[in-house]
Amino acid sequence: MAGEPRLGADWFDGRSARARPVEVWLDGQTLHFGDQSAPLSGVGWPERQRHGQRQVLLPGDGLLSFADAAAFDDWARASGRSDSAIVRWQQSWRLALLSLVLLVAGLAAGYRWGLPWAVDTAVDALPQGVEVSLGEHLLDGLDDEWLKPSRLGAAQQQAWQARWSAVLDRARRQGGVDVPERFEIHFRDGGKALGPNAFALPGGDIVITDALLELLADEPDAVMTVLAHELGHVQHRHGLRMVLRAGAVSVVASVIVGDFSTLLAAAPAVLASNAYSRDNERQADLYGRSLARAGGVDTSRMAVFFERLAKKHASVGDHPLAIAISTHPADVERVAFFNQR
Amino acid sequence: MLDIDAAPAAAPAPLPAEPRVLQIRFTGSGSEYFRIWAVNLLLILVTVGLYLPFAKARRIRYFYANTFVDDQALSFHGDPWKMFRGFLLLVLLMGVYSVAGHFSSTAAFVAFLILCAVWPALWRASLQFRLGNTSWRGLRMRFDGSLKDAYLASAPSYLPAIALVGGASLIGPDTNAAVAGGFTPAMALYSVGALCMTLFAPWSLTLFKRYQHNGYCIAGQHSRVKLSTAKVYLLSLKTMGMALLPMIVAGLLVALAFGLSRGLGGSQRALLGTAVLGIGIGLGYLLMFAVVLPYGAARMQNLAWNGTRSQALGFKSALKFRSLFGLTLKNWLLTALTLSLYRPFAAVATARLRLEAVTIDCHEDPADWVAAAHAGHADATGDIAGDFFGLDMGL
Repeated sequence: MAGEPRLGADWFDGRSARARPVEVWLDGQTLHFGDQSAPLSGVGWPERQRHGQRQVLLPGDGLLSFADAAAFDDWARASGRSDSAIVRWQQSWRLALLSLVLLVAGLAAGYRWGLPWAVDTAVDALPQGVEVSLGEHLLDGLDDEWLKPSRLGAAQQQAWQARWSAVLDRARRQGGVDVPERFEIHFRDGGKALGPNAFALPGGDIVITDALLELLADEPDAVMTVLAHELGHVQHRHGLRMVLRAGAVSVVASVIVGDFSTLLAAAPAVLASNAYSRDNERQADLYGRSLARAGGVDTSRMAVFFERLAKKHASVGDHPLAIAISTHPADVERVAFFNQR
Repeated sequence: MLDIDAAPAAAPAPLPAEPRVLQIRFTGSGSEYFRIWAVNLLLILVTVGLYLPFAKARRIRYFYANTFVDDQALSFHGDPWKMFRGFLLLVLLMGVYSVAGHFSSTAAFVAFLILCAVWPALWRASLQFRLGNTSWRGLRMRFDGSLKDAYLASAPSYLPAIALVGGASLIGPDTNAAVAGGFTPAMALYSVGALCMTLFAPWSLTLFKRYQHNGYCIAGQHSRVKLSTAKVYLLSLKTMGMALLPMIVAGLLVALAFGLSRGLGGSQRALLGTAVLGIGIGLGYLLMFAVVLPYGAARMQNLAWNGTRSQALGFKSALKFRSLFGLTLKNWLLTALTLSLYRPFAAVATARLRLEAVTIDCHEDPADWVAAAHAGHADATGDIAGDFFGLDMGL
């Protein structure tokens, strides 16, 4: 044994708190300390660090404590103990920075390809019942907070429903566009907060506000195109996708900054939802245009809708916060899209 | 951040007359922890999150190896595979809870009840796990708070919370009826819950701290804490007073900017208004966290640890609000500016400040201590649950 490199340590046996100075050496797969020994496989070996104490955790409760960390590292190397790959990465600035670069690249790739794939898989796997009850729950919540029953008379509501059914029937006969199995139009008064608006919830519930119908009372084709656009969200199950995406992004963000600030953790989820929702809008526009045209609707009337919407927003422009949200540079693009033959 | 409550629960000295002071030193380095953090994050990403408990064990080991009490570092014996089981249990629990919330208010309430029913037991199990896997001079620490006391300590915050959530889920479906019929029992339940939760908050905090600080053990030492509810209430009032400061500062700045913008024309003025409002809210938020949280945290740490002692040990904590305020402000600004790259540096700096504020008087020589003979006693099931699931909820 004389040939093995040796090092002094304080041995605590786990029963008494008194330190016992011992000599430590390695012999094959056995760790010797004083007149004791333990198999290396049962020992907790410390990682090489620049700071902090080196302790070898022994089976049971005991431990060996080394006062001089640098001497321990030299001894461990001389005894044939090599650093694990993780320690080598942690101790090298170059590799640690490389991990950050890989991390960012991995997150970007996950965001670009992994997340949509995971969401698609989850959306396909979830039974529709789950989606429907999620949508109903959301609608209940909206009814409590934001929405009031529609001020429209039953006759008016029926007239809109009849017109919408006619468009759908014609589109079905024409073929070429798939219509989702389950969907339902709800008329609601969204008050000033929501204004002229329409949105689709997971599970196929579509809400359209009185203000929108008033704004477009003389432009039924524009209303039909808006509804067809919302049906596009239902067809592509955008609502459920948004919920899943926001959830996944906020979980990832909370791992990185979570215990630091919930606000910082929430920001990426919001940004991600906005980025995805732009793609969703394009997809729904495409579907809406095809469906509405198949149903004999003149989609170019959407120009009137965007024009009136812009005018309405301009008139409330005095409010300081309105500036941030009222500009719709994409309007021109969308008008052109719905005019395109 | 290192759990301040678990770390410095050890220390001793020889002569009964003149206590020896056990100094706490923290030698961690931000730049070294930064590299550990970077590699940990990459591994978490590569394993789709499954590496989390292993990363946590590595982080605790790094912080422990750098926490010296009287020149001997703490050691962490936690088995990451056991922590992995605890991690899966918590993920499952939180997953079920958040999914239930998406579907119906009744399901959410039932899930909340289940969570309330198991949480005190999990809390105790995680304290047992963390303390039981922490050793100093080869002696394992222990947590001996009883299961009953964990529930008693939780009751004043959990019961009002249950009333609050229960009331809210009852109000949910019949809002219109409630508006028409005035004050319903559900709304009464909700309001009483909210009121009690607010009024009891300092009391609850006292009970939580008492439960923790009455349960720490090492060798023959059992910690006991003297923490008066009145003092915690007083501290809460002072903290609320501190919360007014950032609001006033931000409000004054916004008012000043609006006053100055009088001369400007319509659209310019509106734009400036938006910007000022945004900056004002951001500033108020930043100051709120940089002032209020450090104030509460610093004073509470001092209050709890200065009241804690065991047979031979007395703890002293002299954490200054000014230091923690400066550090928190700096941590926040740099973390935000570096898109969270500064976070590991912030964690190390905060741990250093909070740990090194604590000193321990010891009336015995800790070298004379021997491990307590602990055979299985009445609470063995709790111990097993904590150990089996490797629950470790503290950060």
